[in-house]
Amino acid sequence: MDHPVTYILLLPLIGAFINAVAGWKMPRRAVETIACASVGGSFIAACMALAGMDGAASVTLYDWLSFGGFSAPAGFYLDALSVTMAVMVSGVSFIIHLYSVGYMREDKGYARYFMLLNLFVFSMLNLVLASNLTLLFVGWEGVGFCSYALIGFWYTVPGYATAGRKAFIVTRIGDVAFGVAIIWLFYLAGTTDIPAINALASSRIPAATATFIGLLLLSGAAGKSAQLPLTVWLPDAMAGPTPVSALIHAATMVTAGVYLLMRLFPVVSLSATALSVIAVVGCVTSFYAATAALAQHDLKKVLAYSTISQIGYMFMGVGAGAVSSSLFHLFVHAFFKALLFMGAGCIIQALDEEHDIHKMGGLMIRMPLVFLCFLSGALALAAAPGTAGFFSKDEILTATLSNGSALYVVLWAMGELTAFITALYIFRVVFLVFRDEPKASPKRLPRIMVYSLVPLAMLALVGGLINAPANWGGTERLSAYLEWGGVAPALKFSRQWLVQGVSASVSVCGIAMAYYMYVYNPAWRKKAAARLSGIAGFLSAAWYLDALYNKVVVGTYVMVSGFLWKKVDGLVIDRSLDGTAAGIAGAGTGLRSAVTGRASTYIMSVIIGAAAMLAYFAWS
Amino acid sequence: MVPFSHILILAGITFALGVVCVAVRRNILMILIGVEIMLNAAGLAFVAGSMRWGMPEGQIFVLFLMAMAASEVSVGLALVVYLHKRKRSVDVDDFSDMKG
Repeated sequence: MDHPVTYILLLPLIGAFINAVAGWKMPRRAVETIACASVGGSFIAACMALAGMDGAASVTLYDWLSFGGFSAPAGFYLDALSVTMAVMVSGVSFIIHLYSVGYMREDKGYARYFMLLNLFVFSMLNLVLASNLTLLFVGWEGVGFCSYALIGFWYTVPGYATAGRKAFIVTRIGDVAFGVAIIWLFYLAGTTDIPAINALASSRIPAATATFIGLLLLSGAAGKSAQLPLTVWLPDAMAGPTPVSALIHAATMVTAGVYLLMRLFPVVSLSATALSVIAVVGCVTSFYAATAALAQHDLKKVLAYSTISQIGYMFMGVGAGAVSSSLFHLFVHAFFKALLFMGAGCIIQALDEEHDIHKMGGLMIRMPLVFLCFLSGALALAAAPGTAGFFSKDEILTATLSNGSALYVVLWAMGELTAFITALYIFRVVFLVFRDEPKASPKRLPRIMVYSLVPLAMLALVGGLINAPANWGGTERLSAYLEWGGVAPALKFSRQWLVQGVSASVSVCGIAMAYYMYVYNPAWRKKAAARLSGIAGFLSAAWYLDALYNKVVVGTYVMVSGFLWKKVDGLVIDRSLDGTAAGIAGAGTGLRSAVTGRASTYIMSVIIGAAAMLAYFAWS
Repeated sequence: MVPFSHILILAGITFALGVVCVAVRRNILMILIGVEIMLNAAGLAFVAGSMRWGMPEGQIFVLFLMAMAASEVSVGLALVVYLHKRKRSVDVDDFSDMKG
């Protein structure tokens, strides 16, 4: 019990427990302190686990489930992948907890909020560290629940609770596939222990089955990570408080799908087909979401589509076999996307809950620190040369191109195109929000909100140095560390300068084009926009995917349930029951006349009955 | 020696008289008497059977029957007294509270 993993997990759970049981009685400051301190402690414990690591280790806390040939202890597997991930999750969570103290300063539901946030951190760390798939699934569903509860945090606002339910139901579809994959893996390998499954994968799983399992895992991951075709819940999830969007729907939970694929990479990589499908799904999703982000008016929706798009890159990295590059991008994305969301939260609160980017403007001088932080996040997202986002995105793209086959070359080209759109849409936001003429004057914000952006801004700018590629004089420490920890080694890249050159010019072009359209010559943009309003509508409705689902899936469901309700339940079941009841009542009325209350009648009927019985027996 | 069939005919006639008495009379006391007559007709048939096949069970049965008849009458008469107290009547048709 003295292993750091105990504290990593237990502290947020204790925090959640205290705030759940006694939070409503405690003063606001105490609730905030407990929540932040427990996550901070968890972060320190995770750092200690990272520092004290000498090879992968399994820690079993107690026997959780055990029957027949099945056993799933409450055990945790600490290897390079899970511990670095735990450090990132707890670190980002800690910063967002601090930010939340400022953001939720006027909200009455602070105890419920911090309780759910702590519970989320516990579930997420449980998902990250679990040594078997059964326990991982508990964390997986735990984060899903917290996400649901926090999206619908302001459940009295019409539509917000629906958004929570939508997220819950859509991710459930992926979870069914994931559940099937777990059972199938247990059937094949005889255990749900992740290291054991990975070790047995090549000997126990036939090639054809491996493709199916890979695709099932992909479906589960796609649900959680909002990849096509299950993207629709994430834009709606923006109904939750902005720190929740930053923590759950940008930095941690939505990357759980990618993490799952990395965790089971030895299984997934058995099938080249599955890998190609993963890469294609990631690439198409990232392109789709980037185009959708281009036409959004809601600041948070832009960031939501941007998240979907960036996770698409991570899927593409996994599909190209570059796990460490993908994890690198996951980290960097967690930093800059949490930063962008927190910056957006600052802007939205300062402008009295204004979400429309066209109604903002001129905030550069009025909110200089927020501007600088948001700008560094935007630069990292646009993969401007030298920022963390540049290195990580570049590694994924290089890995995709180095994969060799023609398919991956096409994916690479699409990835570069997406990178261009990414730079364009995020700088569209930057220029509209910070450069345009001022339309409203911002309120003052609590200092803790603004200052908690700074560490993330630093990480977004220089965090790439932990894995800077060799040709920039970097040491690729993260990759080397993961490789030492047993993660499949990254491909040796060829043509790296070429890819970096293309990526850099694409990113600069995107930013330049955004500058041209939104600052230098807005008149031209307005003319073009008037001509292309059809396309803009198409993009802003996210290719009408949500409308299509509403029509096909929800419409069919409503129709079928309407039929079952009005026809089957109303006509068949209700009517047959009513008919039976009416028949019995009629029979009762009819038979009532037989009950005279006169003893002589009864006696006569007894006698007649007895005589009839006697006659029957005498006859036979 | 009286033939077995004669005794059975006598028992049958007695039983039929009891049935008619129960069915026709309205007085509770007369109905109780009818029941007694039917019981005794059955007893008579039992005794005749016991004699016919030379087995004692029939006579034992009759002893039980008498005991039962005695207790039945005592309960029955108690009920009659109670009913009479309620409505000052022993006519069964006056007690038709169970009419549906």
